[in-house]
Amino acid sequence: MNLALEYRRSAGRYFAARAISYTRTGGRLAGALASNMAPLRLVEQVDPVPGDESWTRIEPVLSGICGSDLGLLTGRSSPYLGPLTSMPFVLGHEVVGRTLDELPGLPRGSRVVIDPVLRCAARSLPACPACLEGDTCRCDRITTGGLAAGLQTGFCADTGGGWSRRMLAHASQLHPVPDPMPDEIAVLVEPLACAVHAVRRVPISPGASVLVVGAGTVGLLTLLALRKLTAAGEVHVIAKHRHQADRARELGATQVIGADGAVRAIRRSTGALLVEPELGEDYLLGGMDLAFECTGASGGLNTALRSLRAGGTVVASGMPAGGVDLTPLWFRELRLVGAYASAIGEEPGKGDFPEAIALATAAPLDGYVDMKYPLDQWRDAVDHAAAAGRLGTIKVVFAPGRG
Amino acid sequence: MSGLRDELRLLRQGRDWRGRARVPRSAQPWELPEACDDFPTAWARTAAAGTLRHVLQQGVLKPVVWSQTRPMVHGSEYLDGIRGPAIFVANHSSHLDTPLVLGSLPSRITKKLAVGAAADYFFDSRTIAAATTLLFNAFPVDRRASRRDRSLAAELVEDGWSLLLYPEGTRTVDGWLTAFKLGAAQLCAMKRVPAVPIALRGTFAAMPRGRRWPRPGRPRVTVRIGRPLYIGVDESVPEFRARLVRAVATLWAETELGWYRALRAAADDSLALPTGSRSVLPTTASGQPADDHDMAPWRRVWEATRPPAEDGPRQVWTD
Amino acid sequence: MGRPGFVLDVDERTPPLLMHEGEGFRLERLPLGSRVIYPPESLPAIVDLEGAIRHALAHPHGSDPLSQLLRRGMRLTIVFDDLSLPLPPMRTPDVRQRVIEQVLEMAATAGVDDVELIAANSLHRRMTPAELKRTVGERVFRAFHPDHLRNHDAEDPGALAHLGTTPHGEDVEINRRAAESDLIVYVNITLTAMNGGSKSVSVGLASYNSLRHHHNVHTLRHSRSFNDPANSAMHHSYDRMADVIGGHVPVFTIETTLNNEPFPAALRFLTRREWEWNLTDQASYLAVKRSNDLATTKLRRRIWQATEAPYGITGVHAGAPSQVHPHTLAAVHRQQLTEVRGQADVAIFGLPYICPYNVNSIMNPILVMSLGLGYFFNLYRGQPIVRQGGVAIFYHSMPHEFHPVHHPSYIDFYELLTETTDPVMLETKYEKQFATDPWYIHLYRNSYAYHGVHPFYMWYWGAHALQHLDDVIFVGGDRSTTGRLGFRAASTLADALELARDTVGGDPQISYLHAPPMVLADVR
Repeated sequence: MNLALEYRRSAGRYFAARAISYTRTGGRLAGALASNMAPLRLVEQVDPVPGDESWTRIEPVLSGICGSDLGLLTGRSSPYLGPLTSMPFVLGHEVVGRTLDELPGLPRGSRVVIDPVLRCAARSLPACPACLEGDTCRCDRITTGGLAAGLQTGFCADTGGGWSRRMLAHASQLHPVPDPMPDEIAVLVEPLACAVHAVRRVPISPGASVLVVGAGTVGLLTLLALRKLTAAGEVHVIAKHRHQADRARELGATQVIGADGAVRAIRRSTGALLVEPELGEDYLLGGMDLAFECTGASGGLNTALRSLRAGGTVVASGMPAGGVDLTPLWFRELRLVGAYASAIGEEPGKGDFPEAIALATAAPLDGYVDMKYPLDQWRDAVDHAAAAGRLGTIKVVFAPGRG
Repeated sequence: MSGLRDELRLLRQGRDWRGRARVPRSAQPWELPEACDDFPTAWARTAAAGTLRHVLQQGVLKPVVWSQTRPMVHGSEYLDGIRGPAIFVANHSSHLDTPLVLGSLPSRITKKLAVGAAADYFFDSRTIAAATTLLFNAFPVDRRASRRDRSLAAELVEDGWSLLLYPEGTRTVDGWLTAFKLGAAQLCAMKRVPAVPIALRGTFAAMPRGRRWPRPGRPRVTVRIGRPLYIGVDESVPEFRARLVRAVATLWAETELGWYRALRAAADDSLALPTGSRSVLPTTASGQPADDHDMAPWRRVWEATRPPAEDGPRQVWTD
Repeated sequence: MGRPGFVLDVDERTPPLLMHEGEGFRLERLPLGSRVIYPPESLPAIVDLEGAIRHALAHPHGSDPLSQLLRRGMRLTIVFDDLSLPLPPMRTPDVRQRVIEQVLEMAATAGVDDVELIAANSLHRRMTPAELKRTVGERVFRAFHPDHLRNHDAEDPGALAHLGTTPHGEDVEINRRAAESDLIVYVNITLTAMNGGSKSVSVGLASYNSLRHHHNVHTLRHSRSFNDPANSAMHHSYDRMADVIGGHVPVFTIETTLNNEPFPAALRFLTRREWEWNLTDQASYLAVKRSNDLATTKLRRRIWQATEAPYGITGVHAGAPSQVHPHTLAAVHRQQLTEVRGQADVAIFGLPYICPYNVNSIMNPILVMSLGLGYFFNLYRGQPIVRQGGVAIFYHSMPHEFHPVHHPSYIDFYELLTETTDPVMLETKYEKQFATDPWYIHLYRNSYAYHGVHPFYMWYWGAHALQHLDDVIFVGGDRSTTGRLGFRAASTLADALELARDTVGGDPQISYLHAPPMVLADVR
């Protein structure tokens, strides 16, 4: 029998959580909310059965808790995504696991990471225009075909998710993990692939100044990707917590800025003019060339928009929540670019995942995963993940095989 | 309120209950001259304080002193001619002196009389200063530094107050008469007021330095008031001072020699007079002057405390 | 009155001693044997100040009387010391007003039409109209403001004149109007021995281009102390610059010196020696201390900032700057110099609520540093109060507070300190950036902000002390700000001495500089 954390439809809980988490104090109680109000339950299921020989059963070894998962559990994520999921589903899309079935070119028992996007290939459909271009994360067919609706593994009723002991994955989703790479780093490949994707979304000229808002998993991995894949000049990172700041410096941040007075600190290093409106936050005339928003909070995007020079670019890496004053976007003629998940790219072997695996092999990512929870302690795990920054943790993961 | 308590405790450290701190040793060279005239005395010269003082002096002070000693007062008749302020000048050997003089002078004078008191002694502590000021109408006199320009004494005389001064500056140690300071004479010269010499005898024996109460047995004390002296037109201040000393010495000698012989002795220059640091006994009980400066201290006290011969019929003429 | 300053040895009978600590004060028991450096008592003020000014203008040192220097058709520029002097601001009428009025009286008599008044604020913030009015008085203000009574603008390229370089290659660039005048009349207040003299024009009217030659770490490390012009590399540079200026435009300076009465009568106990406090002093200490402690931060600051000093003037000297200044210095020394024998292992300073750069403003942590390790540490002549390798203990709570309008560059400078507190590192890496930052320049010129480079100067001010001291401890200091500045915080004096034990041992010789009122320790 399979043990899984199942997310089920519960309008009451969803709206209650959403209502509370959008208040000021509710925001601070995100962890408590997530673990107590989330429509989540630990269930015993029959083991999933692979549809055909291109699918395999996976035994997740480690499975991360992502910011978007927390967003869902606290009701912060947008209802926009509702139709792109199919209830009930098992969460978990940052997965390192072992295959339990023989696949062409991939023997049973291989250690793999999963590209969670459930695109045309996994749905037994001919490739849509986006998939043809290699922009697999932009696949338009995510609600149809041979699978229930689901933008990713972890949001689809048919595939299961990482927060369980058994799940299914399509051959096209699998990327073998080099043997020397420990599980604790392999579980970071998926978010790192997203970071690589985000960095590849925009042209970054050599010497460009970049602001990374947020130094959680996404922020740090984006910084890593920036340093390894681009010739960006100064990279300034806004970090709320001390350990985040230390790691950001380790990854090559020019300057780490506290969350308070971030705009001021950016002003200091760019020599921009600071403008103080009577209402609302300060902003700059002049500033950074680029910003990566990696918090998924409206405050982060706000800071990014207010810290850019005219004509600058904001990349929204975190799943955005809440409204933002877009006046600077209009007035400063900024570019706002979304970056969702990862793509396989046009050239085989040059996709975001292979790049991420290559980066993860060499990068100093030890200690990013410092807490592994068995599934039955999911409430503690979710609490911990919601307060990870404060508790000195970068990534909280489940070890479903335990307990 | 605990903050306040802590502050108070801190403030109290190094200070006595009146809030005064000792001058740290290393700060002593820079100590301010004792701010003696800081103590206000004007209140004691108001009518209300005067009335209270009169009651205290007549109702308490005089009865107490007169019950503990046997005062004899001579020469009050000389005071009849005095109108306006005068400087009363007495020898000084005891705390009894002031109450005795105050009790001996008529109230028309004592009501307008202020007493010069050593600033460093009587005005050192506020309670003693207040009591002295009220009871004796005392005002501080600085006996070390000369601050004549700021002297309160001159102001008081201008305001019509008579003064009782002890120009010796301090109570005598051994009962002998010491030299007069210039202040009293100078004041007379400056303000053109008369000086009234007063000699006090027996107070040294009755209550010398160090005693707080007259010795038992109602010792006899004598207050002799002399004729008022006016400074002459051509007379210098030191000359006038010499005249004052001689007048007091003459009155002193009257106890042993009687009035006329004392006058004769003064005229003959056979009374011992103090000069500089030399103190003298104008006359001893035997009638002879003593100015032996080398005399052992005990002998000086011995001489000074020899009881005078009991009042017998006084011989005016000697054989 | 007017007893000389002296050094007290704390003995058993010494009562607790007064200690300033920011916007407050306290009584503190010092260990037995500690030495306390007391300033001379306040000297009597000149009674007929008008007469003294008239006499000084008519009998100047090394110059013709002012009336003979004024003529019809000339360009006259009157320059005066800005808001940073004196401290606290003096009770009106300010002595600058009195001097300026007499100068203008003479100028009017001589028929001078072209007169400009310029505040010598250098890279300090501009003075507000109200502050200008308070300094020069209603009458002058009304006649000249706003067109002819102005602040010096060190960032207006059109309003600066480069007069050449000194033999040492230092640029001399000052206010153009002043440089192109037929006569500069400088009206000065000399509060400490570092003020006045060559400094007046060469610093007060200078630009960053000129100031960087003497306001730097190297110069300040060789100014020992900057309160002793003869041994101050900074003042030597001023002198060289003043010579260049003197070659272009005649300067007639009027220097005034103050006595030691910085506090109004209600705070008299602050200036009295503690063992001479009478009951009134003690009662007012208690009352003021308690209400001060109970007041809100805002109210407390308002009250302290509203304090006006009843300063009296002890001297007015006029004439050629180099000839006038020795007289001024002598007057300052007469009022402030106290002879001290030998250096201490530990020096204690109680820092007051005000320094030259937080008048009507907030004393931020950087200013606390410059007040303590700059101004107070350098209140010496000869050798520092504390020995090389000793410890300085300061009293200040050092709250993390900045005035957003007056000190914008300070807010950012404070962040730099997370990276380094070494003056040389800061100077080489960041000074230029801050000095040329367009936003700071904009705020300096158009708002009321100190120049972008000013916090660096504040840090350099302490460079000599940072090099000299092995440890710096703030009693009552906020731990995070104190730590940011590279210092240590202690909650009590005993704790501070315990911390200092590692450096100076268990039985150090302690000296406490009992200021304010101002005292200059002549350490032999």
